[in-house]
Amino acid sequence: MIRDRSLTLLRLLPALLLLLLAPPADAAPADDFHLAAEALRAGDAPRALSLYQGLAAAGHETASLDWNRAQAARRAGQPGEAMWALLRARELAPFDRGVAREIDRLRNELGLEPAELAPSPWGSARRLARGIRLDIVAAALLLLSLGFHAVARRNRAARWPLRALWGCLLLGTLAASVVFAGHAGRPLAVVARADASLYESASPDAAPLGSLREGEVVPVLAESGDWLRVEDSSGGRGWARRGDTWLLVGHAGR
Amino acid sequence: MSGSRPSSRRFVGGLALAFAALVMLAGSRTALAADPQIRAEVNARKLGVEDELILTVTLSGSLTGREEIVPPDVRNLDLEGPPSISTSIQIVNGAMSQSKIYTFRYRPRGVGYGDVGPIRAKVESGEKVVAGTAIEVVAGSILPRRRADPFGADPWGGQDPFEGFFERRRAGGGQRPPDPKIFITAEASRARVHVGEPLLVTWSLWTQASVTGLEFAEAPSWAGFWVEDLSGPKPGEVPKGERATGPDGEPYQKFDIFRKLVFPAKAGKLTIPATTIRLGIPRRSGSFFDPTPVVETVEKKTKPLEVVVDGLPDAPGFSGAVGRFRFSASLDRPTLPLGEAATLRVELSGTGNLKWLEKGPELAISGARVYPPTSKADLSTTESGISGTRRWEYVVVPETVGALDVPAIPFSWFDPSAGKLVTAESPALRIDVTPGGAGAAQALAPTSQPSARAAGTPMPLRDDLDADRPLLPPLSPRGLGGLLGVVVLAHTVLRWTGRRGGGGSARGIGSVRASLADIERARHDGTSKETAAALLEKALVDRFGSVDDEGAGSEGERAAAELLREIQYIRYAPQLGDYSAKLRELADRAEEVIRRWG
Repeated sequence: MIRDRSLTLLRLLPALLLLLLAPPADAAPADDFHLAAEALRAGDAPRALSLYQGLAAAGHETASLDWNRAQAARRAGQPGEAMWALLRARELAPFDRGVAREIDRLRNELGLEPAELAPSPWGSARRLARGIRLDIVAAALLLLSLGFHAVARRNRAARWPLRALWGCLLLGTLAASVVFAGHAGRPLAVVARADASLYESASPDAAPLGSLREGEVVPVLAESGDWLRVEDSSGGRGWARRGDTWLLVGHAGR
Repeated sequence: MSGSRPSSRRFVGGLALAFAALVMLAGSRTALAADPQIRAEVNARKLGVEDELILTVTLSGSLTGREEIVPPDVRNLDLEGPPSISTSIQIVNGAMSQSKIYTFRYRPRGVGYGDVGPIRAKVESGEKVVAGTAIEVVAGSILPRRRADPFGADPWGGQDPFEGFFERRRAGGGQRPPDPKIFITAEASRARVHVGEPLLVTWSLWTQASVTGLEFAEAPSWAGFWVEDLSGPKPGEVPKGERATGPDGEPYQKFDIFRKLVFPAKAGKLTIPATTIRLGIPRRSGSFFDPTPVVETVEKKTKPLEVVVDGLPDAPGFSGAVGRFRFSASLDRPTLPLGEAATLRVELSGTGNLKWLEKGPELAISGARVYPPTSKADLSTTESGISGTRRWEYVVVPETVGALDVPAIPFSWFDPSAGKLVTAESPALRIDVTPGGAGAAQALAPTSQPSARAAGTPMPLRDDLDADRPLLPPLSPRGLGGLLGVVVLAHTVLRWTGRRGGGGSARGIGSVRASLADIERARHDGTSKETAAALLEKALVDRFGSVDDEGAGSEGERAAAELLREIQYIRYAPQLGDYSAKLRELADRAEEVIRRWG
């Protein structure tokens, strides 16, 4: 039996070696990430922004990418876009203190109140759920409850498997409900451009109703083509161009 | 002599009128030729907490229609909503002046001091700023009700009061002069265009008297059109009316008051609905001793305009561009080392619907990664259309060393003057990629405007793209909800199958506990022999059924059958002694059988 196990291990060894020595699945995004950083350090912020945008569109968005994107946007004189990138980074890494400090610093520069970055109470629940991976915790508890149910069937007289089953089921449901609550509420968007206006209708020739504050987070009430119906901090409702207000959560970001 | 008196009065009247006209013309010319002026005023600098603060910002002068006021920062005030905006045009004695008035309404938050910050206006030439003001809020309400200003902007209504007096005297006193005729027309430059081809719509005022406060009473609905505003005279240009003969054969002064460039967005017979324009006609009250003028507000409506719009050919690769263009492409770096990026600029310049061409041409380069383009435009709007350049910039990152061919990029547009689709191709380009390390240490030459921060300022960048990527991807709410549903379903199935199978009992897991509870009750002191035996028998029958030695198949059933026989013997045996010890023994054995095989 020991010899059989050794032979099995020997047969598996090449496959294990291949797994260990194989290059990372996709090295190109990391290269482009470094390329963008080099461009930014050399002063070419628009090129860096274009590279970061391409990486994000290709599905490689991380908090680090959004952090660097925010720095590039600030260099390019676009604080609204920088705020959007920082808020995206906070969504991906809720407990990143550097991101939180930078958001606060930029908020002060833009003259925004904290409430203007958090129009919905569900944002905190969503970030908390993401930060402590409540989705995985909930899934694990729910699957564990199935395991305890199987144990209770085999050991019908014992009480502890049933108690464990109900405990896991209740806790798992509670954790899942926090995850659901975090995604409740309206989608949010960030005013990424300094000259963004609010219009009375979703039309290029509509009369402007007022201006939106750069960096402000606004709830999205409706969407129509290239327009978003939003509500600003003073309660005013109107339509804004997608190019001026970028979706933050609720749909795929820009 | 009596004959000379009316002529001298007429001369004096004419002189006064000419002087007044000269003053007004000079003022309006100065206003129109200058850059737009901004003026801001509040209704009060000290008001009660129950009063309303009204901030009026007026832009006057040469307006293009694209001006914008940024709401100022305020303290101790709450904005009650978006500003109301009104545009007015005044035509007085042949001169036209424009102004755009923004009215902001605020409510004080509390007693104390507050302020209205600087007000910024974005105009064609840049930005205009006017200083704000401090306010004081006291308790209650202290502002009086506003009274209407009886004089308005022109107390004489553009007419010489003396002349009017003399005219009335000649007419026999007390008779009202005939009403001046005024009407408004809307004209389109063409009756037939293609989709995306511009059409100039002009609103003209035909008048026989001075008017004031021209504005749209109902803004036209532009369903099916994109619209560019051409309102306003050019800087330095003083628009004047021209004498024209109206359709009734009478003389009028004709002014072009509004102009818009419209682009049909769909084919068919489209209608530009009728437009209602509100204007004021100043009239004197009729008494020499009461010079207060009365402005009569009237509304004039134009007729709807019909336009026939021809569709565009449906050809593969057609971009939707309409106009006359030049198409080109260029590279900023024809030679670069591997690991660096080049920028490919694709430009479309000319006159047409450039404003709405956001999507760039598709581009794929073998051997390189091409990122989605950024779109920029440098456009200006004139009566003939939108002219300028639309530019798309692609970042190209070569993946191999050697010559990289950038293929010729085709681009199609519809030329209305030729009536056909035109296709042009940019020249094919080449990038020579030299060997170099990925993320090379050599600095990249910046290809656009320099950064806003000082060079040398350390940049807090992160070096690892995946530093904070989680081990497990996030579970979407939908996925988690699905998992919850599956788990609940699985529990239900397990419970249901547990009831039907296992142990020969129809009562499932819960009945094991019930049986054990029965056994526990049988052990209680004070329970009679018959009751205790009945409880033990019930517990075993509930788990195994009424088994006997002949029907018992499994080991559990045989053990249960043997136990049942002994229990029934004790139960129905006469009370000849103390059976407590025996009953406890039977209870222990029954519990063991149930726990083991139940």
